[in-house]
Amino acid sequence: MDHQAPEAPLLQLDRLNSYYGPVQVHFDLSLSVPAGQIVCLLGGNASGKSTTMKAILGLTRPHSGTVRFAGQPITGLPTPEIVRRGISSVPEARRLFPAMTVQENLLMGAYIRSDARAIGQDLDRVLERFPRLRERLRQRAGTLSGGEQQMVAMARALMGRPRLICMDEPTMGLSPLFVERVLDLIQEINRDGVSVFMVEQNASLALRIAHFAYVLQSGLIVLSGPPGRMLSDARIRDAYLGGEPGL
Amino acid sequence: MMINQLAFGPWLDYTVNGLIIGNIYALLAVGLALIFGVANLINFAHGSVYTVGAYLGWASITYLHTPLPVTLVIVITGSALLGVAIERVGLRALHGSSRIAPLLATIGISLVLDQLVQLFCSPDPRALASQLPDLRIQIGRGTIGTLDLLIAGVGLVSATGLYGFLRYTKLGWAVRATAQDQDAARQMGVDTDRVNVTVFAIASALGGVSGLLVGMYYNSIDPNMSFDATLKGVVAMMIGGLGNVPGALGGGLLLGLTESYGIALFGSSYRNLFAFALLILILVAAPNGLFGRRRDLPPEPMTGTFIARSRPLRLPRALVAGVVLAAALLPLLPAPYLLQTLTTALLSALLALSLTLVAGTVGQISLGHAALLAIGGYASGLLALDCGLPFVWSVPLAGVITALLGTLLVFPALRMQGHYVSIATLGIGEIVTLVILNWTGLTQGAMGLTGIPAPAIGGIELTSVRSVYWLVLVLVVAIALLQTRLLSGHLGRTWRAIREDEVAARSYGVAANRYKALAFGFGAFGAGVGGAITAHLYSYIDYRTFDTTLSILALTMVILGGLGNVAGAVLGSVLLVSLPELFRAAAEYRMLAYGLVLLVLIRYRPQGLLGTV
Ligand SMILES: Nc1ncnc2c1ncn2[C@@H]1O[C@H](COP(=O)(O)OP(=O)(O)OP(=O)(O)O)[C@@H](O)[C@H]1O
Ligand SMILES: [Mg+2]
Repeated sequence: MDHQAPEAPLLQLDRLNSYYGPVQVHFDLSLSVPAGQIVCLLGGNASGKSTTMKAILGLTRPHSGTVRFAGQPITGLPTPEIVRRGISSVPEARRLFPAMTVQENLLMGAYIRSDARAIGQDLDRVLERFPRLRERLRQRAGTLSGGEQQMVAMARALMGRPRLICMDEPTMGLSPLFVERVLDLIQEINRDGVSVFMVEQNASLALRIAHFAYVLQSGLIVLSGPPGRMLSDARIRDAYLGGEPGL
Repeated sequence: MMINQLAFGPWLDYTVNGLIIGNIYALLAVGLALIFGVANLINFAHGSVYTVGAYLGWASITYLHTPLPVTLVIVITGSALLGVAIERVGLRALHGSSRIAPLLATIGISLVLDQLVQLFCSPDPRALASQLPDLRIQIGRGTIGTLDLLIAGVGLVSATGLYGFLRYTKLGWAVRATAQDQDAARQMGVDTDRVNVTVFAIASALGGVSGLLVGMYYNSIDPNMSFDATLKGVVAMMIGGLGNVPGALGGGLLLGLTESYGIALFGSSYRNLFAFALLILILVAAPNGLFGRRRDLPPEPMTGTFIARSRPLRLPRALVAGVVLAAALLPLLPAPYLLQTLTTALLSALLALSLTLVAGTVGQISLGHAALLAIGGYASGLLALDCGLPFVWSVPLAGVITALLGTLLVFPALRMQGHYVSIATLGIGEIVTLVILNWTGLTQGAMGLTGIPAPAIGGIELTSVRSVYWLVLVLVVAIALLQTRLLSGHLGRTWRAIREDEVAARSYGVAANRYKALAFGFGAFGAGVGGAITAHLYSYIDYRTFDTTLSILALTMVILGGLGNVAGAVLGSVLLVSLPELFRAAAEYRMLAYGLVLLVLIRYRPQGLLGTV
């Protein structure tokens, strides 16, 4: 099905420059997510992580540079079109539909699909992976706990049968127990063949599951490499990964 | 017992009547709530769609002799298409601009639509027969007619249809998701543009049908019914909670019943007073509506509603002085008509100066500002007529009264933000008009004030066009200078700070409400003086002399000049008042022109003529 070379990355950002009004947020940002991998983008507050997600999903439009997905340029496409091509998202702060039930939220995840039977099967499969949600199917999503909401957001992203899931700080605000659960789930999802692009502040957590990581500082990639190398380099650890933020 | 039995019949009639009218309000409010949900917008063009729907029905009955079902289909289709056009042509380009911009655009659209209806179908009322057999079913001592049943039926069918659509169709799900979180919906692959168009089509179809039904109910339609419909729809929606669709249904019925019982108890001229009093009450006491469960949305989601960041263009002092000098020397030319026009323009500049301070500098977009003119005009007129006060005393006193009364009236709105301010000021403006209309003992009610003495200073009547012009010019220049001084000082900085970020300003210890009240008071004084002079010039005013159209016009002037811009307010008034006047032929297209100016400005130059970004 894919006519690209096996090494060609699934997602590739090439020299993006993004702005909010006059303020530049990205400076020649380049990174890539190879198919089948978990890639993390690390960085402190206001470094431009969420904006990277938005640029991939077409929610903001970079002034220059290209975003490629599966070899095709997707820069400037409308968000729904990008989603249809196989990118799902777990947005910052979950962004569930608060007045809809959990089930409705999950089905909204499959909005781009029209194969009713397969959607039903996927719903069952997703609920097997997130058993806690089964008993809450009829509950309004806005009334769930933060951890449960994170589960719904991840399950919802899976319902679109994506090739790539972009997650913005999926462990933010969760108890240690839930954090572990979320990390496990991300790895499970990835083992099923879904690539993951994950934005995180909490570097040591993210580096435990990542295949590759980038460090973003004030809109510039200042560092990149496999997690092992990052963790072993004391200088890097102190400069970018130390003093873990409380949240 | 006897009394109860006697009263039962009429009360049943009042209840039925309230429910029927409430049904209409509900149809309007549901549409407004749907639109607010997905577009975060109070659609002031909604009433115009309702009017167009009524006229479409009238035209198809009159010219095509269609039977009722066909008429309904035509009205539904036509109104839906109009809704689509409004969204595509008027609003889509404004996506991403601040939220007050599309609201103002819908005001522009409504001006244009109303004027078009007037041009094509004449401003006079038309009869719209119901096409139904005139049967009435006797229930106890009350009756229910076929039309009542039709209206109830349409309401029921629409409500169930809408429920089914929202709950069981994919597009309906998309509508709900978009209403809850537009960005998240897009990330699920929802084409939110399509959702918007769909919602405008549905809402407009409901609006158009309700226009047709109301026309049949009263057997009369006219192009001026838009505004009232918009207001009632907005009130009903606010009762139910902004954007709450089932709430809007309940709100409509409740409003209909309230009005109907109110009429039963106090008489029909109080009808609208109930609606607006209810509106203000809701805004103050329950801004989330009566049926809103504790929403996950913040109660006032409409902050930061500025049209455009704009810094005033710096005009060289010499230029300003030159223009003022030229204006002062103008009466030496033998051009009385020009002078008269400019006098009118300068009088409206007093209103615009006031509005540009409140809306531009402090950021409270007021939609009922003309009410200040009415207060000033009536105050000065009554002081002159009833107390025999001379012009030089009654006018400044009227200014003070307007400042006090205006600030007092607007007090409930001071702690609100964004759209809520606009709706509240609109409601307060309407209340002022209605009080003037109903307080016959003081204001002569619908008769108006007649025989207000002409302006006079020191016993000498200012009868010449020239002297009146000079008087108004001096006033405008004085107030403009004073306003400029205030703006460049500490007070101006504080006002701007409140506009930029009220929360931050508050946390620095600024008593925001007090400063807003101060701006309002100062502005109201100028507007009151303007209204007072107008009253003495016209010698006759009534409750319609200073109506909402004037408020909208003032807003257009202010936006044209650049929100918050003192020189811009004067320039905007002079341009908008005198240009149409000078092209006399275009008199009947005036509102059309204003509407288009407003639309073009918001789209292409939101910072106004004298603003830079
Ligand atoms: N909609 C916006 N308008 C203007 N500026 C914005 C907007 N969104 C983000 N910014 C600014 O862009 C910069 C990068 O924001 P971004 O949200 O990408 O940071 P982040 O790395 O995700 O931060 P955090 O860890 O706090 O989520 C910040 O300085 C932020 O203030
Ligand atoms: Mg972020």
